Amino acid sequence: MTVVHRRSVLKTAGLAGLAVLLPPELLAACSTLASKSGPKGHGFLVFDAHQAKVVEEATARLIPGPHDDPSEKGHPGAREANVTQYIDTMLGALTVVPQKVFAGGPFSDRAGAPIDEMARFLRLTPAQVRGWTTRLSTLRSQYREGVTTLDKMAGGDFTTSSAYKMDEILAQDPGGFMDLMFGHAIEGMYSAPEYGGNGDLVGWHEISWQGDRQPIGYTDKQVSLSDGPDVYVPTGVGKQLLTLLTTSGL
Amino acid sequence: MTKRALVIGSGPGGSVAAMVLAEGGFDVTIFEKGPNYFTNLDSDLPGTVFSNDELKMNRGFSLPDQTAEPRVYRSSPQATPITGAVEALPQTVGGGTVHWDAKTPRFWDIDFKKLSMLGPVRGAEISDWPFDYAEISPYYDRIEELIGVAGDISLFPKTPTLSHAPRTKALPMAPGPPEYSSLVVSEGCRKVGLHPFLAPMAINSRVYQGRPRCNNCGFCSGYGCPILARIGALAPLRDALRSGAELRADSMVVKVNTKGRRVTGVTWLDDRNVAHKESGDLVVLAANSIETARLAHLSGLPDPYDLAGRRVMFHWFSEASGIFLGERLHNYRGRDHTHDIDDFADPDFPGAREAAKKAGLPYFRAGKIELGGTQLPLDEASSYQEVLRLISPQKPFGTEFKQLMRSSLLRDRLCGIELIGEDLPYADNRVDLDPKVRDWRGLPVARITYGPGPSELAAQAFYMPWMIKLLKAAGADVAIAIPELSSSRFPIGQDQVPTTEHVMGGMPMGTDARTSVTDEQGRHHHLENLFVADGSVFPTSGGHNPTLTIMAVALRQAASWLSTG
Repeated sequence: MTVVHRRSVLKTAGLAGLAVLLPPELLAACSTLASKSGPKGHGFLVFDAHQAKVVEEATARLIPGPHDDPSEKGHPGAREANVTQYIDTMLGALTVVPQKVFAGGPFSDRAGAPIDEMARFLRLTPAQVRGWTTRLSTLRSQYREGVTTLDKMAGGDFTTSSAYKMDEILAQDPGGFMDLMFGHAIEGMYSAPEYGGNGDLVGWHEISWQGDRQPIGYTDKQVSLSDGPDVYVPTGVGKQLLTLLTTSGL
Repeated sequence: MTKRALVIGSGPGGSVAAMVLAEGGFDVTIFEKGPNYFTNLDSDLPGTVFSNDELKMNRGFSLPDQTAEPRVYRSSPQATPITGAVEALPQTVGGGTVHWDAKTPRFWDIDFKKLSMLGPVRGAEISDWPFDYAEISPYYDRIEELIGVAGDISLFPKTPTLSHAPRTKALPMAPGPPEYSSLVVSEGCRKVGLHPFLAPMAINSRVYQGRPRCNNCGFCSGYGCPILARIGALAPLRDALRSGAELRADSMVVKVNTKGRRVTGVTWLDDRNVAHKESGDLVVLAANSIETARLAHLSGLPDPYDLAGRRVMFHWFSEASGIFLGERLHNYRGRDHTHDIDDFADPDFPGAREAAKKAGLPYFRAGKIELGGTQLPLDEASSYQEVLRLISPQKPFGTEFKQLMRSSLLRDRLCGIELIGEDLPYADNRVDLDPKVRDWRGLPVARITYGPGPSELAAQAFYMPWMIKLLKAAGADVAIAIPELSSSRFPIGQDQVPTTEHVMGGMPMGTDARTSVTDEQGRHHHLENLFVADGSVFPTSGGHNPTLTIMAVALRQAASWLSTG
């Protein structure tokens, strides 16, 4: 049982539903666009240089690092974790063989195994190819349109705006693009590095998370005993969160 | 001449049926719609590509693809249909036991004889199972040995657990290490008079039949086990393969072919969607409650009383979370959770009879509570993303988000508990074919109509305050409860697709062909060589995880099919 896991599944379920209902001519259009995208000569599979730059600046506002927010000194963010690389890899996952959707297994080389089997991606089934083709086509056009919208709202080029202006634009969540990108920035920040993000494991180190633990696992003592006191004093947004939960609790 | 058996589904029910039939001399073919993520399945220790990878599982690695193979949900026949991942269980070799955290409680005496022992409930189709606890008990013993259950029956509460599900045989393995957060919450339970205990689970606490002991990696519930310390359906599947059964993955049966009162075989599609036919002397449906009912409808199986797919039951899950500010609970290590309480599955829990009476019901039950569990970083981060929209709408991102991640209030400092509530069987809760939505193969998808009745609502309302109470007693600084949300008939529910992943009913067993689909051996009432071996045959849902019971019932039934042909 993971408490919110089931609900997270639901969110993506909503997207999937829309994709199924897309009319065939739109699907065809999506796949045409897909075939046009490919290596662009900037080290990206899907983004052109400007799109990559906009996504980089925008995700650095969403999950800021030391260069983006003075209060994050010593705490890497989306920029340092290569979140843009992650998003580009996801959007172009079907343009490479094997497709970069599901990392292999059972082990990476981070917890005692000699080779990183997670780096060998798994071949998709025909049903999975079908589903991912549809979803990624939709996402690619959402990114294309989203970047255009951010530029427009910035009066031309989002990347030349001030941090304050960028935040103001993103907070309006135009067409749901900020929220969509934030979801992907989270994935790029805290997922296994084989997917293109979490560079040098900065996302995991930042939250004291050890990531995949096979084949070493944890000892029985680490499972059964307390790690000792570690007091959290509620301040700022943490305090607000606790207040929200306390007042909305049933 | 060797008789041919065709088994549809390689999950817990289908694998047990295949094992019995193959060992009994049948030439068995097992059709699995999903892919095979294992190698050397006939060996003691298969290989696998499952891993400690949260993104892979969130992307639906083991599930039916949500776009290519969706389902449709309505909370009532009048409600707007929603397309999505309705009760999406793993669709791979091994079925639901690929993602389970392998809790293996037994159903209780009152589950098997609910009508006789507890009585009818107006509006629900309560019936007795064709056998009782004493009769199924030895089959439970055999499955517990086959899949390797760890636990200590001397630690189970005498009341209500052992009085409703008596045991004489010790479990094959001692319990594994208790999880710290489960211990903390168990202490809270004891303080308020409840009876926590180390739950039985099919996870190795020592080397068992050539497979290693669990090394506490923590990626358990929802994840395939990377080291096969948790094997589930792959144990009977291994035995089936060793007795000559053939496994065909990526192969979807789309029609059971019939002639008069007999089935003659199946039509199936390979992964390129090319159709093939296979003939058989016996066909076993074990695709899970939703897909078995869908296949019955796709095949046009005889159904003179309009029963197939009705009385489907999912369990409702009420969740509560405690947040502990004084320490990190490291809930991400070990076996998801290690302790349960059974108190709320007891219809005679103090106050429950009175509360039922007030709600106009003869009685109600909830079910067991799993004590412990949390979320991993991606899900945690998504929670903060949602929360920030509420508490910081002017700027729902940035350093505030990172501060929350570092605090880990909703992961490392959180301990979740989950109530698995009994669903009563209602004729209107059903699986049929959606008139519009089709899967990638062009076939109509399953449409699920499901919502709670007065019993479920009253039981949830009565027990949710207890969930807060026990978490507070355990020392939680903040405790919140979230009811089941899958239907607008639940309080604050908003017609989200059900995702509890416990699916039962639809082809219930019974002695009367006017009120049941299958007989006491799981044989279809109108087709003499068609059998059902998954949770579809359950007449009631109990208040406990269903998989062990699915396997035990399949084991009991399949032995009687050997003389069929």
